[in-house]
Amino acid sequence: MVLKVFRWGPGTRERAQKYWVKARQGMTVLDALVEVQRGSDPTLAFRYACRVGMCGSCGMVINGRERWACRTLLSGLARGVVTVRPLYNFPLIRDLVVDMAPIKSQMLAMKAVFVPGRRATDGGGFAQIGSNTRERRAVDGAVECIGCGMCVSACTMVGHDARFPGPAALNRVFSLQRDSRDGAHAERSVALLSEDVLARCHGQANCTDVCPMEISPTDSILALRRRAVLRLFGIAPR
Amino acid sequence: MRDRKTLRRRIGSAEAWRDTKAGMWAWLLQRVAAVGLVAVIALHLKDPFLRTVQAALLALVLLHGLLGIRAILLDFGLPARWHRLLFLLALLGGVAAFAFFWRWRWY
Repeated sequence: MVLKVFRWGPGTRERAQKYWVKARQGMTVLDALVEVQRGSDPTLAFRYACRVGMCGSCGMVINGRERWACRTLLSGLARGVVTVRPLYNFPLIRDLVVDMAPIKSQMLAMKAVFVPGRRATDGGGFAQIGSNTRERRAVDGAVECIGCGMCVSACTMVGHDARFPGPAALNRVFSLQRDSRDGAHAERSVALLSEDVLARCHGQANCTDVCPMEISPTDSILALRRRAVLRLFGIAPR
Repeated sequence: MRDRKTLRRRIGSAEAWRDTKAGMWAWLLQRVAAVGLVAVIALHLKDPFLRTVQAALLALVLLHGLLGIRAILLDFGLPARWHRLLFLLALLGGVAAFAFFWRWRWY
């Protein structure tokens, strides 16, 4: 199996380097990269942590699609050369390693952090929302985000408009806007109506298609849009 | 985010088009149909009886309209996991409607 890996570092020119790896049964792309690094090329840089599809650190673009390298079997890919590239729309650090800071800055720009409101406490401490309540079920999928950045990489709008906060931040905003304990709904609602936020999503669902946690940021964004429209007509969304 | 080296999907790069997803094709086709409609409507106004222009007009209207209905359904709350099926239905519905109207020959 031939891996064609994107290589770049500060002060060096971008290039694609080919490595030959003997594919074994059950071998993942991450296994292959580790083998290359331990064997033929210790300078190859890539990021990983859990190796079992939980942390999302090893997100990269394999054969043109965002995937986590630790869960992508070589046998499951199309025959021929396997291309491995870093995530799109993130600043490069080196080779396959990107700087994930934009996710944090996009979240902060959208105030996608919990702000305790009047209902944050219920007298006996921090108010809890039961797991089987309508409020909790509405955000069941959205709260599972592991911040891997694959949705941001797959989103064509993020690449086109740097002011668009991207699917990860908007998905987080969605879960906060549905949280009755949060006290910044009105403030975020104003930010959501800016021309570079909700209106910028074209509903291509690329983010939803690549999310390894099977979250649908597209649904979150469209739900935020419907709530924004209701607000414009003076109807308080549930 | 823009001042440091950042990879983007570029239109001219084959690698960027690899694994282009159904939702992207649906969006792109609807836009291309809209641009095509502008040209075809102009031709149709010049000579409304040209059969090839009529066929192009019908095909583009159906494509643009049905993909628009798909987008509206998703906007109004149909789960995004249905988007591929809706794309397929729009294409198949477009072909069926084209065949029906073209065979009908209303004049």
